[in-house]
Formats: sequence, C-alpha cells, structure tokens
Amino acid sequence: MSPVLRRLLTRILAVPITLLVITAVLYAFVMLTPAETRATLYMPRNLSPRVTEEQIQKLLDQAIERYHLNDPYPVQYAYWISNLVQGNWGYSATLQEDVLSAILRRTPATAELTIYSILVFIPLGLVGGVIAAARQNRLADHGFRFTAFIATSLPPFILALVLISIFYVNLRWFAPERVSTAMGFVVSSDEFRQYTGLLTIDGLLNRRPDVSLDALRHLAMPVFTLAIFHWATLGRVTRAIMIEEFKKEYTVAARARGIPEHKITWRHTLRNAISPALTSSLLSAAALLTGVFVVEIIFSFNGVSMVALRSMQFVPDAPAAMGFAIYSVLIVLILMGLLDLIQAILNPHAQETD
Amino acid sequence: MRALRRFRSQWQNWLGLLLVLSFVLVAAAAPLLSPEDPDNPGPVKVVGRATDYRPHPPSPEAPLGTLPGQVSVYHSLVWGTRSAFRFGLSVAGLTALVGVLIGVTSAYFGSRFNDIVMRITDAFLSFPVIAGVVFIQQLANILLYDAGVRVFVPNPNRPGLVDIPQNLPLSLVLLQQIDPVMIAFILLSWMPYARILNTVTQRLKRTEFIQAARALGAGHARIIFRHLMPNAITPAVVLAARDVGGMVLLQATFTFVGMGGDSLWGTLLADGRGWIISPGGILTYWWVFLPATLALVLFGIGWNLIGDGLNEVLNPRTR
Repeated sequence: MSPVLRRLLTRILAVPITLLVITAVLYAFVMLTPAETRATLYMPRNLSPRVTEEQIQKLLDQAIERYHLNDPYPVQYAYWISNLVQGNWGYSATLQEDVLSAILRRTPATAELTIYSILVFIPLGLVGGVIAAARQNRLADHGFRFTAFIATSLPPFILALVLISIFYVNLRWFAPERVSTAMGFVVSSDEFRQYTGLLTIDGLLNRRPDVSLDALRHLAMPVFTLAIFHWATLGRVTRAIMIEEFKKEYTVAARARGIPEHKITWRHTLRNAISPALTSSLLSAAALLTGVFVVEIIFSFNGVSMVALRSMQFVPDAPAAMGFAIYSVLIVLILMGLLDLIQAILNPHAQETD
Repeated sequence: MRALRRFRSQWQNWLGLLLVLSFVLVAAAAPLLSPEDPDNPGPVKVVGRATDYRPHPPSPEAPLGTLPGQVSVYHSLVWGTRSAFRFGLSVAGLTALVGVLIGVTSAYFGSRFNDIVMRITDAFLSFPVIAGVVFIQQLANILLYDAGVRVFVPNPNRPGLVDIPQNLPLSLVLLQQIDPVMIAFILLSWMPYARILNTVTQRLKRTEFIQAARALGAGHARIIFRHLMPNAITPAVVLAARDVGGMVLLQATFTFVGMGGDSLWGTLLADGRGWIISPGGILTYWWVFLPATLALVLFGIGWNLIGDGLNEVLNPRTR
C-alpha cells in the first residue's frame, strides 16, 4: 500500500473514535437538563400552531418512553447516537426547520469560503516563509515579519470592518453577502442547475460566467480576512523551520557540491520543511473553522453559522445547538483529512519518519 | 539571572512590558481617570439623552466622544481595561491550570492511561471554540429557562430585562453569574498546554532526580506537585502569556458578532458598527472606531511580545 493511502486510512479510522468521544462528552452535558428538555431532541416537525399544552406534554412523554430518557446515561446515549446516525438530528423550533436540512442547505456556502481560503493561504504561506528564511535578516525578511506580526495582532473582525468600510461602502469594489440581488434571482431560477452548490463553479458549468464573477466579488473580502491570519501563522512556522533546516548537514553538503542556492532552497530544504509546517495548520483546523464562522456572520454570508446565530435567542433550542456542534466537529475532521492529504501529496515520505 | 539579562536586552520585550504596564496603570486608576456616574454606577456611562442616536464628537463630559445612545466612549474604554484584565488573566490562568494538571498527571502515570488521555485531548482539538460557545450558551439558557427564568429584550450584548422566579436554587443563581463564553474558552483551550507538558514530563520522568525522589519514598502527589510541575512549567508560562491577550481578543470577537460574552471594548465596536461603516470613510466618526480598536490591538500586541520574549528566554531549543 502506498504511504499516502495508508495515511489516509488511519485518518479515516480515527474519525469515528473522535466523534464518539465528542458526542459522549456533549451528551454528558445534556444529561444535566431535565428529561423533558432532552425529549425536545426528538420532537416531531410541523407541530400545528393549535396544538394544546396537553398534546405537547403527551408527545414529550411518548418521546421519554420511546427513547428511554429516564434510563441511565449509556442507554440514553446509545438511543440518541443511533438516531443521529440515521439522520434524525431533531427539529429546531426557532429555525422552523429540520436541523440537518437547515445545515446541509447552507453547507456549500461555508465550503466555498473555506476551500478558497485554504487555496490562498497554504501556497502563499509556504512561499512567504521560504523567501523570508532564505533572505534572513534582510529587507524581505523584515518586511515579512512585520506584515505577519500585524496580521496576527489584528483581530479578524476589525480587519473585516476596515475592509467593508473601504472596499464596499466607499469604493464599491466588493460586497458582503453571498450574491448580489440580481444574481440571486438567476441562481434560484429553474434554468440554473446546482451541480456542486459552489457558485463560482456552478456559474461556469451553467455557462453563466457573470454568476461566477459575482460570487468571486462577494468572496474576496471574507477570503482575504480569513487567509491573511492563517497565512501569517503558516509563514512564521515555515520560516522558523526553514532556518533550522538550513543549518543541517545535508544543506551544507548540497552547497559544497555547488548546487545553486535557489535549487537547494526550493528542491531540498523546502521538501523537509513542508511536513512540520503544515502540521501546525492541521492542529489549528478548529481555529480555522471558528474563523470561517465568525467571518460569515460579519459579512452576512449565509453559511452554516446562521443556524447557530438564529438559534441563540434565549429560547431553548437544544437540537440546533447539538446539531451545530456535531457538524462543526465533522467539518474539522474533514479539514484535517484534507490538510493531511495535501501534506502527503507534497511529501509522501514524511509518514515513514513520523 | 542570565535569563533576566537576555530578556532585558531586547527592545521588543521592553515595548511589551511598557504596553501591559500602562494598561495596568489605567485599570488601577480607573475611578480617578473616569469617575462613575453616582446615580447609575457601572462601566457604561450615559452622557446626555439616551434617545439621541447620533454619535457626538469629543466634548468635556465625554473626552472621546459618544456612541449612539450617548454612551461615553472614554468611560467604557477606561473601565474596559479592568474587565479585560479580569477576563484575560482568569481564563488564561484557569486554562493553564487545567492543561498542566492533565498533561503532567497523565504523563506521570504513563503508558495505557496516557494513551487514552492523549486521545481524548486530540478529540478536543477538533472541537471549534465557536461551537462550544453556542453549546454552553444554549445549555445555560435551557437550564435557566426550565427553572422559570425569562429574558426579555433579547440582545446578547446588553443585559435584558430578566424575570427571575423566587426560590431559585443556588446552583442556578451561580450559573446566572457565570459567563458561558468564559467556560467554553476554558473547556476548549487547555489542549496545547496538556500536549506540551505531556512531552516535557515524559522526558523529565526518566531523569535521575525524579528516580531519586521515588526511591526516597515520595508519593505520587508529592512527585507531581513538588518535583515534576515546577520543572516542566516554563512552556505553559509562555503559552499563558500569549493567551491573556488572545482570549481578550476572542471574547471581543464573540461579543461583536452577537454571541454573548461581555467584552466592553467589543461592545463599543458592536454598538457603533453602523457608524463605523459609513460613507466618507472609517475615520468620519473616528472616535467610534479608533479608541476601542487601538485598545484591543495594543493589549494583544503587548501580551504577545511578552510571550515571545519569555519564549526566547525560557525555551532551551532557541537558546
């Protein structure tokens, strides 16, 4: 088996274990609430507005009976998790929708934002770090370190405010939200087929490049906000590792053999630095997703975070909060897998030394 | 002593110390710098009519202008320093404590137990903070709602009208006082501490002085608390220094997007948001945007610089 495949398999095998641990912890917290609240996790959808208190009480009692909500924790947890696996994530009263469908409907928006940010920050972060390391203590290095320092010190929401003020309100180049109103009608019309859900790609597939352009115009600010922070962190780590690698014997040997400096940097040293550098991004996959959600809210980008935001209105809505938490963990695990895959493709031999 | 000399030789460390110390000064002198309104004490002071929704430029009563609703920016800025320190120090401290305890104890007992604990740590690493904030917030709401607490004026940034039933159990009264954002931050930030401390302790465990302590008959608790912890703690100090600033920025972020947390600096920006994004540029109503932004950014930079400086001094690898 190739190392890339083996690595992917171990990653995939680790997913259910992580999910079990997380859901068990979540449900343990839920156990703090009374049984009737836990029963709301199973309430049917589309209750008639004329439903009486007694009827609701009866439904709750039925749910308590059916899902053994008065039994000890392991039994309840087993019932709940098997329900979850079957796609029954509960009905959210504040969203007026099934939690799973509410989340899945908004997933493409979140996915588009995340994918473009990763595509921007990983190559640029690696290149920035390498250049800074190769020109250590010279102008390019100082410039990089200064920019990276500013980028990590500026909270994303403040950067977002500045961007909106300059590029939306005053210059009108870019815009918040996901599509402009006119393009929104095109996207929701019958002729526009949703192939992937990603508007930039669907626009091209439907031969409507104007839709793609419009989507890009709306992606520019959130992607920049997200990418710059992670670019800076990845760049700093890459720089530090590259400087360590430059001191090692194989680099010195390559230099002694008269290999041109740029070839040593990009062919030999970078190859050894990629893995540890990307590992740091892998560990911060959860931070990346938090960033994605925060940026979505600030730019009114209708992504999955809206499910969380709308459910937080001082009215109990357990299914939405649970669904959002589990979904986030799933996405982080997928992100980690994705970053791992990139790492494995860029440097297939890293696994053997790990 | 050599460490101290190294720390002093870098101008960045001085800048970091200067920034943090000036924040300390402002926090300590808050009642002198901006006395509270005797009729309505608290970190939010209204000067003028509360129904006036136009921010006014600096004036003698409000040296840094006002927000919509005539909230004095200067007053919130000064008193926000106190709440920033309270939040940052307590969250970073508690997070470090949890992480260090888990990391060191699990490494000390080692083998199978350590594998399991580290697996759980890794699982926690895949849980985004925002999901934790939403979940804990919702859980607290549910517990309070079930006890009969009702909140009107549902604005997460400002305390609404709360209807609290008589005879509320003590645990729920406590729950009302606790900030869900704070709990979520602590529960979801201890993992880096645990991981680093785990590696350090595993290395330390095999050294001679620990073996000697064990041979002398020291108990588990004594070895962990007297011998392992003081010697393994330095990486945690570095992380915690950076976290003080980081947590305050994160809290402000959550306040800004309307997910609770009561960062005063974040509230300043959230309340003035409509005026920050105004035609004519971000600096038209500069007093709505600049003071809170500068306070947040400088607070973060100060702690980051101190963290970097400590890292250089304490981390043996870069020495």
